Amino acid sequence: MAAGLRAVRRWGLAAAAPPRLAFTRSAFVATKANNAQPNWLGVGLAFGTSAALWAFLIKQHDDDLVEYEKRKQARGHKCTECS
Amino acid sequence: MVFLPDESRSLPPPPLVNKGSMWLGFAGWLSALADNAFNQRPVFQAGVHRQVLLASLGFFVGYQLVKRAEYVHAKVDRELFEYIRHHPVDFQ
Repeated sequence: MAAGLRAVRRWGLAAAAPPRLAFTRSAFVATKANNAQPNWLGVGLAFGTSAALWAFLIKQHDDDLVEYEKRKQARGHKCTECS
Repeated sequence: MVFLPDESRSLPPPPLVNKGSMWLGFAGWLSALADNAFNQRPVFQAGVHRQVLLASLGFFVGYQLVKRAEYVHAKVDRELFEYIRHHPVDFQ
């Protein structure tokens, strides 16, 4: 991203003039990311997605445990060769 | 091709914390740290939401991969023991 801004300066377009179509190669030339102000939407989505992932994973694990125990009971361990 | 067939649920599920999930979770966290470094942000203190998300994603993918690996190994073992059972003469 810094390299793109340096390239823009080299082309003499750093004075707030919008890049002409012929020179534009990257969408990232348009805006400069501001790391000082939190992107609260992004933060919320990231934490929300993480929470949903963990909830799904833990629920799936518990369901798998219950299903395994149920199938073990149903099978009655007839096969003696497998562990 | 289903990633995890129904009969894989007859196997005991691997523990949540296993080599695959921990390693890929760590790799996800490292990639968030690398993203911080490449964008000239403080490596550990910036983008904690990003670190948490990528670590969780890695952990999740690692766990699913370990489950599939255990299923494939169990399937191969079952076929191996079936073959041994059907050809006892070769294994005296």
